[in-house]
Amino acid sequence: MALDDEPRLGCGRSIDRIWTTVDQPPNAHEQTCGQCQAARSRLRSLREATQSLRESDVHNTDLKPRSGVKSSIMDVARAEIRRSRRILLASNGNGTTEISEQALSAVIRLAAAEVHGIHARRCRIEIASASSDSSAGDRPSGYPGLVGSHLVIGLRVAVAPDINIPRTVESLRQRIITAVPAGVGISAGTVNLTVEDLYDV
Amino acid sequence: MSEIPLQSQVITSKLVASLAARTALETPGVLRLEPTVQGFLARLGPAALQRLYNPASQDGTYRDDGVRVSINDNVALVHLDIATDIAYTALNVAEIVQQRVRENIGHTGLAVGPVDVTILAIEPPPRARVR
Amino acid sequence: MEHYGHGYEPEPGLDEGSIVARAQDGDLRAFEYLVNSYQDRLFRLAYRMLNDRGDAEDVVQDALTASWRGLAMLQDVQAFGGWVYRLATNRCLDVLRKRSTRTEHITDPQDILSISMDGAGSDQLADPAYEAERTARDDSLTRVVNTLPPEQRACWLLREMHGRSYAEIGVTLKISPAAVRGRLARARIQIAEGMSEWR
Repeated sequence: MALDDEPRLGCGRSIDRIWTTVDQPPNAHEQTCGQCQAARSRLRSLREATQSLRESDVHNTDLKPRSGVKSSIMDVARAEIRRSRRILLASNGNGTTEISEQALSAVIRLAAAEVHGIHARRCRIEIASASSDSSAGDRPSGYPGLVGSHLVIGLRVAVAPDINIPRTVESLRQRIITAVPAGVGISAGTVNLTVEDLYDV
Repeated sequence: MSEIPLQSQVITSKLVASLAARTALETPGVLRLEPTVQGFLARLGPAALQRLYNPASQDGTYRDDGVRVSINDNVALVHLDIATDIAYTALNVAEIVQQRVRENIGHTGLAVGPVDVTILAIEPPPRARVR
Repeated sequence: MEHYGHGYEPEPGLDEGSIVARAQDGDLRAFEYLVNSYQDRLFRLAYRMLNDRGDAEDVVQDALTASWRGLAMLQDVQAFGGWVYRLATNRCLDVLRKRSTRTEHITDPQDILSISMDGAGSDQLADPAYEAERTARDDSLTRVVNTLPPEQRACWLLREMHGRSYAEIGVTLKISPAAVRGRLARARIQIAEGMSEWR
């Protein structure tokens, strides 16, 4: 009794069961049970009323917050945004050139957007100094900037369920390796890709 | 005040700032000057509000969205925050901006210090974003 | 401000999880897209919980601001929707708790009536008799829903007006999905009876 949390009518019929079968013809018990018949008829009107209210609420232009609500939310977000890290690209007699981490990750995201079946998610950018990374000597050189260090790009992605993941990830890597020098002017360094999810098409 | 008398004419940090901003905006690959979060915050407080109406502050620094200029001992120091077009290489764009801004400021008779550039955004050009 | 004024246009067809991930990386336009996509829904929930525009707007603002602050901690990007609904629901329940410790909150029936009369289903057939009947029914339903205890009302609104899952509602109200099912069944029969009395 204590275990049975399911609300029932006096006749023992589960209310939830009546609700889920309210659009079907009454069963043998429901045909003869007065309680069930009354409940069925009321629940059927409730179902219509519920649907009607849901639709009118969704379309009711008065049931929206004032535009000031969104501005306040965005003001707080803007004021509290962590200052995006700046990466020094070049420094010479004319002055220094820095790039924000966000601008750099935008280039990576735009590159990822060109690869079919890939949705870019979180993107992390680290700077590895050459002295602390033995593999740095192997990286392709010939691009200015980031003297004595290189980028380590960590991008997480969701993929479409119907793609060849290894092949797609490899073409994503190639896109990034091409796009970063073209859009920014430095080598992409190390590109670490993680497939974290499938997205629904 | 921030006005620096120079050869009977007056070069203000505000003038240098508008020169630098215009030069940057005329450089191919620059989409716009980028207002920073700091700039936004500066617009909030009453003290900042005062600065908005009187942008040239006591220390001779001029701030506007995307450009900061100070003049010390007749040397102009310029900082620009820019957004660039993905079709261009941002580092090259920044270097061209630095050269041109230095040239144009040089024409005012001021000595030119470093022109520091921060690339705050890289985007497709506006037309390409329209579907 | 003007930079974020225009609608955020992510790549066409970008899934919500990916937009959430961008917002987690500090992309304000992605966050603004999420605000656009949830503020009306959360307002409808809060308004039906609290019957007060100002309080409902406060709930929307608090919940979405809290979502910005907690975004970096969100492990599963798919869970964003359930999470902001939870933030909003719990704020509504807090407001109702505070109200009940003070004084009975007086809902002006005129206020509810005018809300459901104005622009209700403006794209529906403009049959005045049908409209009047429909509005009267909406009105009687909301009146009866307002008599439910707060947690049961939240349960009913989340499921019937917002289509949230039993599991998610259970997490929000700290009860099992089976208990959500039971509470809903009780709410439905109570509302159905209440409505038949109004006729």
